[in-house]
This record gives sequence, structure tokens and C-alpha cells, in this order.
Amino acid sequence: MSVGSPGSKVAFAPDDDVAIQYMQRTRDYYQALGFAPYRWAHFTDAPFTPLAMPLARARVALITTAAPFQPEAGDQGPRAPYNASAKFYQVYSAPVDSKPDLRISHVGYDRANTVPEDLDAYFPLCRLQEAVAAGRIGGLTPRFHGAPTNRSHRVTVETDAPELLRRCREDGADAAVLVPT
Amino acid sequence: MGLAARHLEANGIPTVIMGCAKDIVEHCGVPRFVWSDFPLGNSAGRPFDVASQTQTLDLALRLLEAAPAARTTVASPLRWAPDAAWKHRYLDVGKLSPEEIAERRKEFDVVKAVAKAKREGA
Repeated sequence: MSVGSPGSKVAFAPDDDVAIQYMQRTRDYYQALGFAPYRWAHFTDAPFTPLAMPLARARVALITTAAPFQPEAGDQGPRAPYNASAKFYQVYSAPVDSKPDLRISHVGYDRANTVPEDLDAYFPLCRLQEAVAAGRIGGLTPRFHGAPTNRSHRVTVETDAPELLRRCREDGADAAVLVPT
Repeated sequence: MGLAARHLEANGIPTVIMGCAKDIVEHCGVPRFVWSDFPLGNSAGRPFDVASQTQTLDLALRLLEAAPAARTTVASPLRWAPDAAWKHRYLDVGKLSPEEIAERRKEFDVVKAVAKAKREGA
């Protein structure tokens, strides 16, 4: 429904149709459950490196937070409850020409509104391969990489991010597409 | 993911993040970001909708080519639903009874213990 000020012909979108405030909701949730508040990473600036070549010649790396299916780690199906046993704590890599079976039962995606039955909705490897075939991008790196969803910023900054950089360099990546789940 | 993007970018590899949690990604401060106003878990487009996924990836690729500066966010024009009702269903603690909160707390403690054991065994 669209609404506007009384007597006006201008129709605005409803005021609640905005980006969900995930940090505030999570803070409220943690507080209600009696947990200490979580502090999200925060910077007021960001680094910037322009792409040094046409995208049609660039080799692109794909980085995901999805986890490889682990047969021993319990329910990882699309309707699984949050499954901490399916988490991983080290950067992993796998060939892009494989058919990876990646799941997201180990993270807090929106279980009230979505059922993750389509890998392509959270891991755009097929769409990237199509972009390569169409000549839109030069190619993909031989491997994609998995980034742990670690709650420790220290581990992310000191261990995981440098490891991702090392692997991207090893693969000759000119750019990276990162897709959190 | 924001921290990883920052690290790659600072070391010479241009990055773009595709995601749904606008406030969290922008709070971190990242070089380039395609925001889909979709439920968490659909960062790359709508499930079983190739056109939507292609469109979302294309925004990411165009950002890689043309973002004029760091912290550039592009909002995907795609809509999850005709109205915003779904946005009220995510983690709404106000709708939980005290019993449900106690139950969630217990579940959360179990999850944390499992994660800790797994992490220390890794």
C-alpha cells in the first residue's frame, strides 16, 4: 500500500518498507536472552583499488561463507535448525569446475522467510561461469574459497583474511566477488 | 566478509560484496557492495530465478568496473515481496513469550558449546 500526506497526490512507500536493522534486532534479541552485546566490525573509511584492466580480461575469484556438506555433522538440509556442528574454522578451497555441495545450516540466515534449496541464490558460481562464457569476465580462478564465519574479529583479521589473500594471489586473481550467507 | 574484502582491497585486489544485511556491511565499511533487500541467505538473487541471479551478479560486475570510490553501495531494484510484511518476521523478540525466550536461551547455550568444541578440535 502506498501512502502520502493528507490531501497530497504524492504516494510514498510505507515507512516500514526499509532495510531491516539487523544489528538492532540482534542486540535486542541477545539482551532478551541475557547475553552480552555483540560488537560488529566498524570503520569510517575503506580501502579502494580500482580494477587495473577491462573486466573482460580479468580473472575473478569467488569467496563464500557457505560450508561444504559434512556427512557426519548432522542435519544440514534446507530446513535444518541452526547447526553449529556444520561450522568450519579454517579457510578452505575447492576447484570451480567441481559441482560443490555447499550448505548454510551453520549460519543465521532468515529461517522465517526463506528455504535455501537453491545453491545459486547464495553461491553464484553458475552465473559467474555464464559470465565467463559470454565474455563478460576474462575467467575464474581455478579455485573458489570458503571463509569461516568466525565470531572472533581477531582470528578473521590475523588469520583468515591473510590466508584468503595468499590463496587469491596464488591463483592470480585480479578481482574478488565475496558472497556472505 | 567485510573484513576479508577490506584486506584484499588494501593489498591490491579489487572486491565487491553481494549481500542482504545492509546495515552490517555498511557499518563495517567496504569498498563495493550490492545490496539485495531480500531475506538473509539470498545474497546472489532469488532462489530458482536465473534472471534475478544474473541481474544481481551483473550489478556486482558493473560495480567492479565503475565504482567511483570506496563505500559504494548499489541497491538492487528487485523486490522480495509486494509488501514489507516479511521484514517483521525476522528475529522479532517482541513477539516471543518468556517461555520461548527461556527455550531459545537453552538452545543457544547448546549451540555455543557445540561450536566451541568444534573450534577447539579444528
